[in-house]
Amino acid sequence: MICKVGVADMKVSAERGDLIITHALGSCLGVAVHDPVASVGGLLHVMLPLSTIDPVKADRNPFMFVDTGFPRLLIECFKNGAQKQRLEIRVAGGAYSQDREENDFFQIGKRNLIILRKLLWKNGLLLKSHDVGGSNSRTMSLEIGTGKVTIKSGGQMRNL
Amino acid sequence: MALNILLVDDSSVMRAIIIKTLRLSQLPLGEIHEASNGQEALKVLDGNWIDLALVDINMPVMNGEEMINKLRQNPATADLPVIIVSTESSETRKEELIQKGAGFVHKPFTPETLRDAVLRTLGGLDEQKAGDRTL
Repeated sequence: MICKVGVADMKVSAERGDLIITHALGSCLGVAVHDPVASVGGLLHVMLPLSTIDPVKADRNPFMFVDTGFPRLLIECFKNGAQKQRLEIRVAGGAYSQDREENDFFQIGKRNLIILRKLLWKNGLLLKSHDVGGSNSRTMSLEIGTGKVTIKSGGQMRNL
Repeated sequence: MALNILLVDDSSVMRAIIIKTLRLSQLPLGEIHEASNGQEALKVLDGNWIDLALVDINMPVMNGEEMINKLRQNPATADLPVIIVSTESSETRKEELIQKGAGFVHKPFTPETLRDAVLRTLGGLDEQKAGDRTL
């Protein structure tokens, strides 16, 4: 089954045949987590770095912010049988919103990545691979059965 | 086989960051030795079997470059794989240092960059799979 993840959204699956996909990753981050032994994985599409700017909104939808969305992604994967030491974490997105990085006043993409990095370090996790920055929009997909993560950007497709 | 690793850096914080990264990299770690300058590191090398050294360049008492020169002159340590972890930005200087070591990681680094450099040096990572881009 193909499961679509919207903006500020997350899907976790333990069905080997499932493909989870998210579109239009600009400055947003797509975070794919997969446990190859348990065949459990999830994909998160977060928009903004910190929930402190609007805790009410974060309560309603934790997947809007990196600091509330990423822990929820991990917890849901653990509930479905994933184990921390086996997790493969991949990230894509975090692009700058202007044609050049120095023109990107708010630097949302960069700040999203910094917060994710802090959470990873604090929780003793490393990234398996990443495709971040630049100015292109990306589509990210995760196959639950194989753990294969694919990035489509600028008409090109590649494995992450 | 467990790997015995020597960390040479005058900053204890940097040594702690490197140790945490090595532990997260799921490498088969044995003993981890620490030294805060080249002279201390040579003493550690004298009395212990080391499989890999991660060495800073700018340190008091004896800097990393002098230390590497000395260990290359000693037949017992001449082939020791050394990864240089330094703030050095000049391409010429970096090239010179890479010739002396087995790898180079520029400070500041992401944990993944350090992990990939260690795996590459130990032969466990395909060059093309190494994530060199930093976040």
